[in-house]
Amino acid sequence: MAILNITYQGLSADYELELDFAASDEDIRRIAVEVVRSGGVRGLHVAQLPFNAFDQFVIDRLRGADGAQRIYLRPKVPFGA
Amino acid sequence: MRIVICGVGALGSTAVQYLRNVDAELRLVDFDRVESKNLAAQWFVKQSLGKNKAEAIRLQLANFYGAKAEAMGVRLAATNAVQLLADCGLAVDCFDNADSRLALSTAARAANVPLVHAALAADGTFGLVRWDERFTPDREDAAGQATCEGGEHLPMIGLVGATLARTIQDYVRNDRRHDYMINLAGVIRTA
Repeated sequence: MAILNITYQGLSADYELELDFAASDEDIRRIAVEVVRSGGVRGLHVAQLPFNAFDQFVIDRLRGADGAQRIYLRPKVPFGA
Repeated sequence: MRIVICGVGALGSTAVQYLRNVDAELRLVDFDRVESKNLAAQWFVKQSLGKNKAEAIRLQLANFYGAKAEAMGVRLAATNAVQLLADCGLAVDCFDNADSRLALSTAARAANVPLVHAALAADGTFGLVRWDERFTPDREDAAGQATCEGGEHLPMIGLVGATLARTIQDYVRNDRRHDYMINLAGVIRTA
C-alpha cells in the first residue's frame, strides 16, 4: 500500500492507494483521474476533470519522512532562472 | 563554507536576497545579462540593466547590504564545472533547463559536493526544493514554452526562493537535508 499525493492547479491532497508501490505510471494516472473526478480525494474534487489532465504530469516514488511509501503525481517543474 | 548558486534568475536571485546574512561565502554563477523584462520577476533593479546577472547581484548585495559575494559570469559546462565547484561545501541549482541541471548534478556528484535543486512549474502554481539524491530534472513540454518571467507569478517565485534559502540555512546550521513542495496553499515538507 502507498499514499498517492496528487497536485492539480496549485492544490495537493493525499489518497490512500491499495496498490503496489511499483504500479505503472499509466495505472497511477488513470486511477488519479478517477478518484479526483469521483470526489474520493478530500480537498481535490473536480467532477469535470479531463481524462488526459495528468498525461504530462510527473510521477515520483519516494519514501516519506515518516517512512511511508509515497507516490507524487505533480506538474513538471522545468524552470528556475 | 562556500556556497555556489548556479543560475541567478528568478529563483536564484530571490534566494540570494534571503541568504545575505547566511554564515557562508556566496559564489554566484550566471552567464546571462539583465534585460528589462527580468525586472518583473527577478531581483534586479533598473541600475543593473545590461550587466551580467551574477555581477549585478554581487553589486546589489554590496550596495544595499554591505554583503560580499563572488561573481562568475560564465555558463556552467563540463569543461569548467570542476573550477566553479572548487572549495564549495554546497551547490545550489536554480537553472532553467534540464541539460544544465544534469551537468551540474554530474559535476557535483563527481566532486562529492552536496547539491540542492529548486524548480518551478510554468503556470506558477507549484514548485519543488529537493536534494539531488531524490531529484530528476524535468524537461519543458515544448522548447520555448512560456516561463514565469512576466511577473505574474512573482509571489510563488518568492515563496519557492524563500523556501530554498531556508533549506540552505538549515543545512549550513544543522546539516539537515529536507525536501519541500510548494503549492498555492503553502509549503509542505516531503523528506
